[in-house]
Amino acid sequence: MITLDLLLHFWTMPFMVRAVIVIVTLGVTAGVVGVFVNLRGLEFLTDGLTHAVFPGIAAGVAFASSGGPFWGAAIAAAAATAFLSLLARRGVSSDAAVAVVLVAMFSVGVVIVSRSHDASGQLEQLLFGHLFTVSVTEVIVTAVIGALAIATVLITVRSQVMTAFDRDAARAAGYRLTLVDLSLNVAIALVVVSASIAVGNLLVIAILIVPGALARVWARRLTSLFTIALSFAVLGGLAGLVGAFTISVGLDIPIPPGAAIAAVFVAAYLLALLLFVIVRRPNAGGPR
Amino acid sequence: MSYFDRALVVITLVGILTGLVGTLVVLRKRVLFAQALTHATFPGAVIGILLGVSLQLGAVVACALIVGTITLIGRITPGGAGAASGVLLAGGFAAGALAQAFGSNVPIDMTALLFGSVLSVSTTDGVLAAVALGLSLLAIVFAGKHLVYAMFDPEGYRGLGYEPAAMEALLMVLTTITVVVTMPAVGAILTIALIAAPAAAARALTARLGVMLIIAPTLSVLSGIAGLLLSREFSVSAGACIALVATVLLGVALIVGRWMPRRLRGEVVA
Repeated sequence: MITLDLLLHFWTMPFMVRAVIVIVTLGVTAGVVGVFVNLRGLEFLTDGLTHAVFPGIAAGVAFASSGGPFWGAAIAAAAATAFLSLLARRGVSSDAAVAVVLVAMFSVGVVIVSRSHDASGQLEQLLFGHLFTVSVTEVIVTAVIGALAIATVLITVRSQVMTAFDRDAARAAGYRLTLVDLSLNVAIALVVVSASIAVGNLLVIAILIVPGALARVWARRLTSLFTIALSFAVLGGLAGLVGAFTISVGLDIPIPPGAAIAAVFVAAYLLALLLFVIVRRPNAGGPR
Repeated sequence: MSYFDRALVVITLVGILTGLVGTLVVLRKRVLFAQALTHATFPGAVIGILLGVSLQLGAVVACALIVGTITLIGRITPGGAGAASGVLLAGGFAAGALAQAFGSNVPIDMTALLFGSVLSVSTTDGVLAAVALGLSLLAIVFAGKHLVYAMFDPEGYRGLGYEPAAMEALLMVLTTITVVVTMPAVGAILTIALIAAPAAAARALTARLGVMLIIAPTLSVLSGIAGLLLSREFSVSAGACIALVATVLLGVALIVGRWMPRRLRGEVVA
């Protein structure tokens, strides 16, 4: 009954403790920032940013030591954010151009990784994460970056909400929209950077988009939007983590924890939608 | 036929196809939808391989499921189709990774599915690409005028007694088969570059649809072959090289287009 013993005492294992801390931190961060992603309809910008950050992470892994990926990702995110803001400012809102440039950045990352040895294994770890093997340094950096992201949106929360509901009115009221957009983009980029290491570059999009989208289905007020998104992100993350651990140890199938978390999130979203359709409360759906 | 010759043939077929269909996708502003589809091919391909059926069959089924779900969710949910497609994008990658973990006795090269492996494409991949190209050519030759009219003026199209939704559906089908047959060569993530970049470049150089339908496939084939040669020269991922060449060509086209006289681009000069 060694397996059962293991399963029941997962919190006594240091690597699981680290994973739990990371996932709770990410849940709180992504829950808060994700609400704004949903309100502002920035799902595809987020998807693009996750791709754009990838070459930074790859270069960090290839050329630097343990802190490398974070710095590389931060630099790439800053470049992509600046570039996107520039495009928006110059009125080039062509989604084709944006999609192409971001995929191109991703390709740069692939080229960097494919030059190194064990390219395939490294790529998979970068894409699907290594939550079970995060180091103490990575836990601390995740927490610091997450705090920065939350601080960025909380400082600008008023203008973000105003802009989300009525862009023109916000402009008329004197909010500097470029600044508002830029700070939200920076916050999204920060979450992407901190989450990429743990859950993997391809799965970040799940923890950033799903909590906000799920909360939007049921919430009717702004405060409940945040409450639902935040608690769902933390609980769903923990459920996915424990599920991945149970399956990995109990059934001896090594599933990537990031993928398990993303799967839990998506399944919960579809379930919430289904419930919504069945119950269909009058006036439900909250702010549109 | 050596593996390199086969790669050249497949990349040429796929280049013409992405150029043609990409032009329609870019004009209709369906790039983000096409991107969601490319991501959906990944779990489909993994499951297709695990079940022992073809990669393309799995990918087509996954695409059909995703299109259906996005359409359905977009109707019923607050937040709209954007949020729905975002969630499904994430779900696609997670499903692919999980399926691979559960079927770990079947070896699957994940990086090949994500970033393509044009050097290891099979003859079947080539035949499927040729069939897809034939179907798209038929659609453009026989329904091209309808497609474009419905695209630019759906209300007017309805007024003529036709159903614009039918043309929308035709474009979706064309996009899906393009994405599915391009994926083995360029990969689930990078396919969108070959669909969007040559077409956007052609759009920057000309306002005439007929000319776009020639420039875009040419640029796409050029990106494919140049990317392939570069990747052999520097021994790096071919899919990534192809995507990068396509991007550089788009950048050049944007700059050239800015300096071109409007008359030369075929724009109506007021």
